[in-house]
Amino acid sequence: MNRLIALWRKETLALLRDRHGLAALFVMPVIFILVMTMALHDAFMPGAAIDVGYAIVDLDDTAHSQSLARRLNKTGSFRLADTVAQADTARQAIRDGRYALALVLPQGFGERLLAPAGADGQPTEPLTLMVDPTLNPALQLAFRNQTSAALGTLRADELTRKAGQLFGLPTTANAPERDWPDEIVSVAVQNDRSIRPPSSVQQNVPAWLVFAMFFVVIPISSILITERQQGTLQRLASMGLPFRLVLLGKLLPFFVVNQIQAGLMVGVGMFGVPLFGGEALVMPQGVGLLNWWLVAAAVSLAAVACALFVASVTRTTQQATIVGGVGNILMGAIGGIMVPKFMMPAAMQTLAEFSPMAWGLQGFHTVMLRHGDFAAILPDLLKLLACAAAALAAAIWLNHRHTA
Amino acid sequence: MLHIADVSFRYPGAAAAALEGVRLDIPPGGVYGLLGPNGAGKTTLISILAGLQSAVSGQITLNGRPLAEARTNEPRAIALVPQEYAFYPMLTVAENLQFFSGILGLARRESKAQIDQAITFARLEQVVGKRAEQLSGGLRRRLNLAIGLLGKPKLLLLDEPTVGVDPQSRSFLLESIAGLPAAGTTVLYTSHYMEEVEAICQRVAIIDQGQVLAEGALDDLLRCDESVVELVLGADMPAELAGRYQTTELGPLAYRLKLTNTAALPRLLDELAAGGCPVHRLNVGRQNLEQLFMRLTRRSLRD
Repeated sequence: MNRLIALWRKETLALLRDRHGLAALFVMPVIFILVMTMALHDAFMPGAAIDVGYAIVDLDDTAHSQSLARRLNKTGSFRLADTVAQADTARQAIRDGRYALALVLPQGFGERLLAPAGADGQPTEPLTLMVDPTLNPALQLAFRNQTSAALGTLRADELTRKAGQLFGLPTTANAPERDWPDEIVSVAVQNDRSIRPPSSVQQNVPAWLVFAMFFVVIPISSILITERQQGTLQRLASMGLPFRLVLLGKLLPFFVVNQIQAGLMVGVGMFGVPLFGGEALVMPQGVGLLNWWLVAAAVSLAAVACALFVASVTRTTQQATIVGGVGNILMGAIGGIMVPKFMMPAAMQTLAEFSPMAWGLQGFHTVMLRHGDFAAILPDLLKLLACAAAALAAAIWLNHRHTA
Repeated sequence: MLHIADVSFRYPGAAAAALEGVRLDIPPGGVYGLLGPNGAGKTTLISILAGLQSAVSGQITLNGRPLAEARTNEPRAIALVPQEYAFYPMLTVAENLQFFSGILGLARRESKAQIDQAITFARLEQVVGKRAEQLSGGLRRRLNLAIGLLGKPKLLLLDEPTVGVDPQSRSFLLESIAGLPAAGTTVLYTSHYMEEVEAICQRVAIIDQGQVLAEGALDDLLRCDESVVELVLGADMPAELAGRYQTTELGPLAYRLKLTNTAALPRLLDELAAGGCPVHRLNVGRQNLEQLFMRLTRRSLRD
């Protein structure tokens, strides 16, 4: 036990004095979480506001035209930038880049709201949408659709009101505006299972936590390679210290480091992200929290074991930094850390199944989003533990071969 | 103390054996020099003794017990001081000593006493709180040695312990190592510096290509034919004298002569004085270690 305590103390002191290692483990993921949560805030929120401005050119200026403008504004997806009286003013403003869209409501719009074009022998002037040609066509289409929807509800309300008047039913004055269609909740459908898509913070905190945990490869390989190059491992072996104890001496301190990372990242998600205007991270409670920790523990074991494997394969700290760093970025890229897995095409989602980071992230999502129980996270836990055992066995074998 | 009999070892996949039929007897209480050119097998032999290599044929016993058994019964009996700075650069001198004492499994009180002794021995008092990476080459060597002394080993294996240090540190290290047998530690010392080995070793083995070329007490190995005289003069030797004494030129103003017997030496010195040749150095009946080493290992470059 004396020996293990000595090893743990040494690893702790060595890590505390490795500023680059500490930055990679703690500062980098915090920055990633904050930046990526803010940057992807809207991408994870169905129906969230799109920062594209539009103007209403109300040539009709009736209760109906004003009602349409209000209904459009209420949907909130696009930003109402201005209401102008002249089409030319709007055209110039689009040219100047002040907003990207302008909806022209023609004269007689209100009057002919319920008259189908040409039905009474008189032409109906159409609504005109002026667009900035650089605007994404999908957004143009989205605005058209929203306008059509608002127009539909306006017509329906007007029709209801007129029918009421016709049949002598009591009606409210000034045509009340109802919110319809009723609210639609978006549901992402993935691999035959329906789940609520993660919010930006719920995607980013576990994702960058998994990523950060795997970055123990930098300090672990730096110390192990120094030990090998400087003959310290030989000296330890000559003192009768078995290599498995050397590894055990690294496992626990870095396991603790990973748990501190987990606490820090969750803290940032719960308290840091809201300070920057984001949504707070919601953590599971009770047994769910224990399951969450089990995933964190399994990710940590896999991360430390993979780091020991990288440190055993490489000869210099530079090699380890490159192999470990690039390997982590690749694992992160295919594992759904950088681009969420549900956004990937099916082929890439299949590829993600081979990344230990994906197993970790999947485990976290199962607990946090699907409220899955132990049985639900077990497959991911087993994959992570098998990965840890294989990496550890390979590291021991490689070190045995170096010294043989 | 340490008896090595017919030890052979071959690295996996190597064409030639690293050690072949090595026989050495290292008595207790002395400094034993192990010499050899690069690749001779010195480090392999030290690795075997330190328990880092297995699959060795032959027999090694420490105080009559097979090496493996002796290491199991007394894990601290043999200590290795590798050629590299085998400690942690980011830890302080004190932290390094505490760590290795923990690895040796020393109890708290014993550990403190031995760390204090090691610090005093290597004169590291002024730098105990300094990180190892901030130490000079000489201080690093002293720390490397101090770590080796934790656990009070009976046999200390020193692999090139003075590489890269200034003359003052070298002299201090040599003095310290020479004093170890008096404190109960036998030393096996490898070095490329012949003058170091001549200065502190009582017995020496010269090995090359995995085989022992010479082994014995240093004085016995360096003793040579007393009729051979080596001289370094202040002027060229007169041709007549050179012819008469079968002189070989060893270098500028350095000569080797053959006397008929030792009694002829005073006459030679008189003749040189008369010929205006002052004698700067004279060597009779004893060669130096470097000459012996070069003769046995045949001077060829190894790297």
